[in-house]
Amino acid sequence: MRVLLVEDEVRLAENLAAAMRDGPGFAVDCAADGLTGDEMAGYRCYDLIVLDLMLPLLDGLALLRRLRTRRDTTPVLILTAKDGKAVIVELLNAGADDYLAKPFDLGELIARAKALIRRGKGAAHPTLTALDLEVNTLEQSVHRNGVAVDLSPTEYRILEYLIHHPRRIFSKRELLEHLYDYNWEHHSNVIEAHVSNLRRKLEAAAPGAEPVIETMRGRGYRLSLETAV
Amino acid sequence: MKGVGKSIAFRLIVAVLAVELASSLLVAVLSLGYERHIHFSSFDAVLRGHADSVLGAVQDADDVSDNVMLDKADVHVPDEDIYEVYDERERLLGRSANWPTAEARGLAAATPAQLAAEASDATSRLKIDGQHYRLILRHGTRIVDPGEPGGGTKHQITVLYGAPTERVWHAIDSAVAFYAAGSILLLAITGPLIAWLLHRGLLPLRQLAALAARISANDWQFDPPETARTTAELAPLTQALESALARLESAFVQQRTFVSDAAHELKTSVAVIKSSLQLLSLRPRTAAEWQAGLARCVADAERLEELVGKMLTLARVENGAANAAGSAMAGDIGTCLSRTASELDSVAALRGVRIVVDAPSMTIHVPIAAEDCSLLVSNLLLNALEHSPSGSTVWVGLEAKPDASPASVEFIVKDRGEGIDPAALPHIFDRFYRGDPSRTRSTGGAGLGLAIVKAIVDHASGSIHLASEPGKGTTATIRLPLCAQSAVEIAADSVASSV
Repeated sequence: MRVLLVEDEVRLAENLAAAMRDGPGFAVDCAADGLTGDEMAGYRCYDLIVLDLMLPLLDGLALLRRLRTRRDTTPVLILTAKDGKAVIVELLNAGADDYLAKPFDLGELIARAKALIRRGKGAAHPTLTALDLEVNTLEQSVHRNGVAVDLSPTEYRILEYLIHHPRRIFSKRELLEHLYDYNWEHHSNVIEAHVSNLRRKLEAAAPGAEPVIETMRGRGYRLSLETAV
Repeated sequence: MKGVGKSIAFRLIVAVLAVELASSLLVAVLSLGYERHIHFSSFDAVLRGHADSVLGAVQDADDVSDNVMLDKADVHVPDEDIYEVYDERERLLGRSANWPTAEARGLAAATPAQLAAEASDATSRLKIDGQHYRLILRHGTRIVDPGEPGGGTKHQITVLYGAPTERVWHAIDSAVAFYAAGSILLLAITGPLIAWLLHRGLLPLRQLAALAARISANDWQFDPPETARTTAELAPLTQALESALARLESAFVQQRTFVSDAAHELKTSVAVIKSSLQLLSLRPRTAAEWQAGLARCVADAERLEELVGKMLTLARVENGAANAAGSAMAGDIGTCLSRTASELDSVAALRGVRIVVDAPSMTIHVPIAAEDCSLLVSNLLLNALEHSPSGSTVWVGLEAKPDASPASVEFIVKDRGEGIDPAALPHIFDRFYRGDPSRTRSTGGAGLGLAIVKAIVDHASGSIHLASEPGKGTTATIRLPLCAQSAVEIAADSVASSV
């Protein structure tokens, strides 16, 4: 999952980015002001936007309104040091999905971030299941037919991304965009290598079963669940 | 009623009633005098008439000599009146039946001889049996046998005629009583009437008070009615209230903005520290990671400390403006500048910037506390150093202008930095304002340095001006008034050096 963090306080941004990379393994991009944040959000490759309210150049609320005006449905989590119900009501009415008051708890932030991403992709429960596959997003563990599958962080992230929308085809580019932040080089063959490793590990967990991840040549990958039935 | 003695309306009513009471007393006294005069004049006329009719009753006596006598049957006067008639030989011709005895008349009674000597119409008073009488003296001439040769015998008749004054006094009393009763009735009517009129008249004042009472820290709405604005007595009060409220509101809004900004900054700083600590405990760390993490936490805490320190400084400088206005403070900006510049040399060297000071070596006193003086200089210098690229120069100039009006000193700090965006220039002195968002957070500026500078300069009734060309640098020009003593000394110095 890829998260855009718009926060002008450099140290806070560093800490939040580190926590989201370390914990749930999100790819995190940081923007230090509202205009940069707006521009980056315009690429539409984020699964969540964490937005500070008091920002230079363009404040958080205005940025949020811009997003919603151009029909960007990315979940938005607001960080605010402002108190008062009126502010919160205004934020939620402007299209924010959730908010956290500073100083907040990192654990809570990560939990809310995960919940928002989950909801944004139409899932209610942190454990995602697709037939014989079970992905626990809290423990970041994967089971197939009850057998634990040991995945590398990147492999897990690819699977987590795919399982949110079974049967949908994800292009390599989309996977790249949603799994890596700007600090990584975008090489599509990196994805290919990870997908092939993932496929191999999943097949090892259930020998003889149909391959779970299909490669649609020239189009991308998908979780091919109907063939397994 | 509580505080009735302090009520203006009450005092006005009392004053009006007192004046009215005094004037009605005066009216009573005057009317008493006037009525007395009028009534006694007519009473005297009546007395004279009666006395003359008594005189008319003096006739020839039937004796041989040319004597006269009083024919009582001819006397038609009220029964209660008294009279006595004498001739020129002091012979009693007759008196009324109720003429008092000598004892009743008292010792003051005059003898007929004395009476004859007195002028006609002279009046006197007499008290008989507790009744007051007014007596009038009439002299008259009665000629017996005027047809005889030689013109007959002339008799000088003296009539002493008196009547009781009780009725006159009664008339006077009732007239005065009428006036007095009228006045008291008037007083009784005016009291409540004035109270009612005052109550009505003071209505705009009460409305104003009710409006003013509604004002609170959350609701500054104050719309005085048009009557309050146009009434001569209320207009100054209304204006004073309005302007005081406007000043209070702006001060209050400023304070509230500051508190909210400060809360935001503090919360953000706490959020940084908290997140730094939680990040460390997110997963198992090595000793080296712990150490690095703790070092970051300490650095974050130090930034919080610096922020709090600056906020307190700003509060102190701004409060100082309110508390110690006009108190004797004289910092020496000349010494301050050279000391601060040498203190900051190491900071400048670290950034590869050179500080050039162009200042006269003399003491220049400005009305700023010494502590704030160095705060002013160091904040400006640090700001310039922060925005200076390596290898550039920060130029600092100090020039006393004792001949300017008012005598002032000009303090200029010039850097060759990236300059300030013209859009940001008007906000540069705002608290917590950061001209360059992408940079200043990382350099640790809390956005309070220039606000502190502005507060100090404002407090000293000085002025500060920033001129900036993006890409070329910024020039800060501060003009501060000189302390009177210093202005004289510097003026003397410049004269001495020019000679």
